[in-house]
Amino acid sequence: MSRVDTTQPDPSVIGNIPIPPFARLPDPVQIFTDRSARFAALAEGHDLAPYLNFLSGLCGVQASIQDGLPDPAPIDAETLARAREHRMPPLDRVAFKADSAFEAAFQRLLDAAVGLEMPSPARAALLRVTAADAAGREAMLQNVLAEAIPFEAVAEHIFVAAALQVHFARLAARLDDKSLQSVGDGVCPCCGSAPTSTAIVNWRRAPGTRFCACSLCGTMWNYVRSKCTLCGSTRKILFQEIEGVGNIKAETCDDCHGYMKIFNQQKDDRLDPVADDVASLGLDLLVRELGFRRGGINPFLIGY
Amino acid sequence: MNMELSRRSFMLGAGAGLAGTSLGALGFGEIEAAHALSIRPFKLAQTKEVRSQCPYCAVCCGMMIFAAESKVEKGKMEVTHIEGDVDHPVNRGTLCPKGAGAIDYIKSKSRVKYPMYRKPGTNSFERVSWDFAMERIAKLMKEDRDANWVEKNRDGVTVNRWLTTAFLAGSSVANEGGWATFKVSRGLGLLQIENQARI
Repeated sequence: MSRVDTTQPDPSVIGNIPIPPFARLPDPVQIFTDRSARFAALAEGHDLAPYLNFLSGLCGVQASIQDGLPDPAPIDAETLARAREHRMPPLDRVAFKADSAFEAAFQRLLDAAVGLEMPSPARAALLRVTAADAAGREAMLQNVLAEAIPFEAVAEHIFVAAALQVHFARLAARLDDKSLQSVGDGVCPCCGSAPTSTAIVNWRRAPGTRFCACSLCGTMWNYVRSKCTLCGSTRKILFQEIEGVGNIKAETCDDCHGYMKIFNQQKDDRLDPVADDVASLGLDLLVRELGFRRGGINPFLIGY
Repeated sequence: MNMELSRRSFMLGAGAGLAGTSLGALGFGEIEAAHALSIRPFKLAQTKEVRSQCPYCAVCCGMMIFAAESKVEKGKMEVTHIEGDVDHPVNRGTLCPKGAGAIDYIKSKSRVKYPMYRKPGTNSFERVSWDFAMERIAKLMKEDRDANWVEKNRDGVTVNRWLTTAFLAGSSVANEGGWATFKVSRGLGLLQIENQARI
């Protein structure tokens, strides 16, 4: 036996500076419970209070329907190995087919949403989704996954997107976070979706690093700061904030003329990638006037 | 979640306002319009975050330099804060006390921004052009090298060296800069080359 120490040196241990994890998988119940609470807190005194309260209720439903929900079918080893070999996300949103676990979640969500307070157009849309046949539901599902929402049926698709978020969060939670790898700039390593927004996190193991929050499965993945999440350019990045706010900024890129919101959780750790995205709609309205296109995907902000 | 862009722009252009949004479709169009109106008076402030590296030592820690619009000079950006670059593999967001104080280095009143020249016999520096500075340095180097060139040592062995001048180079240059430094200085016969790269 060799007496030479073959341990690989790791200088980061000396200064006790941890390497940030590449990805953090969602806790499918906690993520929606927290979001619901955050929506409710944001609603106080906000111009959009009725909408935020409605979304608080909807996120509450996303959390509560999971109690006793049948487990989704696990991803088979062959698919995982193939995804890994070719640097693809293990959850394939394009090839997604509704299975019984999703159907159960979807039906529960529609049933539970009936109890929420909502304006009549929303209620009518909910009834239309509930009444839709299998083919109609499948079509809506594919629209959401293709991020192409038909203009005349936006409201219906919000409920479908909410159900898909629950299902994909549950799928993602069952993956092994150590096996994930980068699949491209601004693409979720779990499901291949675009982020809703990004956050400078205040986690103990990675204070000050930036994580993108997936718009579909809720996974958070590490992404270099001051770099466009839409086109990967680092050349012409600027940050816009409403004067005096400080913890919510829009990261604009003059190469692709898009922008992505960035929440500084070091300044306020309650900031939620989805709830605060909706509540900071004012920033979108102002940044849009500068000619930038919104890059964050959020079913609660379709049309922006 | 974007709809076909042409269609959306058409709707906005046609005065349909905020139709076709999540809020509008769910029946929250009124508060949406009110919010859009109430946000109007607010102004945007622009900031910048740029990567750089610490100028001090050979570790070359990554730095994130934050800038905001200057309050003194309109339309100009001004450095407001410096911290370690969390994405940099060398320092992962940390800086030593010297690096952490680098903003004072940038804002120092005595910071040298241009080539300065103190004429023989005077007691103050004056600003000169780069051409003047380069020419003056080259001339002095040539004079010194011609006067003190050592071709052979005491035993008659050819050495071709120039011992009366030393070369002080930067510690945070990349490989290419370091290569050029040594090509130039060794080519001139210099032996005393200090690269400050011993950490």
